[in-house]
Amino acid sequence: MPALAELQAAFRRALLEEDESALAGLVEEGGARLDIHRNNLFASLGAVLAESFPAVCRLVDARFFAYAAHEFVRRHPPRRAVLAEYGEGFADFLAEFPPCRDLAYLADVARLEWLMARAATAADAAPLAAEALAGVAPADTPRLLLRLHPAWGFLASPWPVDRIWRANRGAASDMAPIDLAQGGVRLEIGRSDNEVAMRALDAPAFAFRAALAQGGTLEEAAIAALIADPEFDLAAALARLFHDGAVAGVALAPPAAETVP
Amino acid sequence: MIPRDGRQAIPALMGIGLRAPHLAEIIAARPAIGWFEVHAENYMGGGAAPAQLERVRRDHALSLHGVGLSLGSAEGVDAAHLARLRRLVERFEPARVSEHLSWSVASGAYLNDLLPLPYTEETLAVVAANLERAQEALRRALLLENPSRYLRFRHSTIPEPQFLAELVRRTGCGLLCDVNNIFVSARNLGFDAMAYLEALPAGAVGEIHLAGHAAVMRDGEALLIDDHGAPVAPEVWALYGAALRRFGLVATLVEWDKNLPDLPVLLEEARKAERAAAATLGDHAGAR
Repeated sequence: MPALAELQAAFRRALLEEDESALAGLVEEGGARLDIHRNNLFASLGAVLAESFPAVCRLVDARFFAYAAHEFVRRHPPRRAVLAEYGEGFADFLAEFPPCRDLAYLADVARLEWLMARAATAADAAPLAAEALAGVAPADTPRLLLRLHPAWGFLASPWPVDRIWRANRGAASDMAPIDLAQGGVRLEIGRSDNEVAMRALDAPAFAFRAALAQGGTLEEAAIAALIADPEFDLAAALARLFHDGAVAGVALAPPAAETVP
Repeated sequence: MIPRDGRQAIPALMGIGLRAPHLAEIIAARPAIGWFEVHAENYMGGGAAPAQLERVRRDHALSLHGVGLSLGSAEGVDAAHLARLRRLVERFEPARVSEHLSWSVASGAYLNDLLPLPYTEETLAVVAANLERAQEALRRALLLENPSRYLRFRHSTIPEPQFLAELVRRTGCGLLCDVNNIFVSARNLGFDAMAYLEALPAGAVGEIHLAGHAAVMRDGEALLIDDHGAPVAPEVWALYGAALRRFGLVATLVEWDKNLPDLPVLLEEARKAERAAAATLGDHAGAR
């Protein structure tokens, strides 16, 4: 008689890897009845991915998407039961998936859809007003850390993925032919009043916000923006960031070592 | 019974599963139904879904039905998942919280199906320990649902209703009796559904589930699949009557997931449950 842990490991192999050898002697009925569980697993998770990646599904067609999703589920099953959070890594998987190699922009469309899916159900957080900075001493300003709202995400792509995404969402809003050579785009995905929003940013604004999102200090973010545009207006950029409801926390990075007396 | 807004009122005992496509209509129309049941995992993030559920909660009682705790996992329940469930319970103050006699997690992988357990002394100890941990964290008794079964393990030694009864005895949990699951499992595994009902500890049953199933042919044998994709079958209505006679008037939920119909169709299934309860138990059925 197998221990429960062994049986569950064997069942997992039978479902994910179609290796029923360890299970065969343990069940009264195998075969088609095990297929019911296997089908529940792959069909439900395939549907979860199709819901989170609708434009990718349309770009490759539903049948191929189901095949790609099956392979992804097999190799990267969910680690959590909250399935709205399943699909991280699907874009990287598509980038490496040989049948998709000709669709160079596909992985970036998937990255965009993942950020939008995450934005929809990311944790709630009250946005801070600019007054949150009132108590910060001017000398501490460079090491300010602005924690962005959990729904916020950033994507820079060499492809016009925002236009590709709109053209593949069923709405006829943007059906003009898309010139892939037209150049890339820098996108911000956020959430306001529980609606996910995507918009294009210019190079300095993207550099500034993306640096903050990665945990950089205000000084590091300002330098990144100034590299993109020497005329970058830090005060205005900060005001816009708070106005957009993008800031959920304010903290100070530890002082640099050389300032210790 | 007094009709409200020209509609037939449904006693507080009848509920339906709340599904996303019906949300806006339910918030706008506030249908005369006692309570809604939601899958807990769909509301563990932020954004629109929990905000809408708060709107529904203002007008209706709620039942949280978990599908992801994996109470049957030998590796134990996921502490992070349990903590999220606890926050949900604290936020929405549901009338009932339920989970399944099944498992979904092995080596950290969540297999997104309610997978079958062998009914042994070891499994009994595993599920009882996991249940006790969950009930301690949530500070309340859970209702445990009988699964729909497609296969059996050779080393099982305890019949399922006795297994459930023993869990009730050891942990103080209640039972969610899914009548459709009993019917589906009885057909697939060849046991007597009525004898199963008789073997359940009647006083522990705190909720009943009704749903539709699908009949399929696989490898030349007829099987039933619990797909929640059709009206409740006539044989399941008959078994529901038997369940009511045995358990008394118990809060009953109609679940529908696949081929989800318009909201009025689902509400009519709940009214049908009400009529079945009235027919089985007499006129006092709607008064509680």
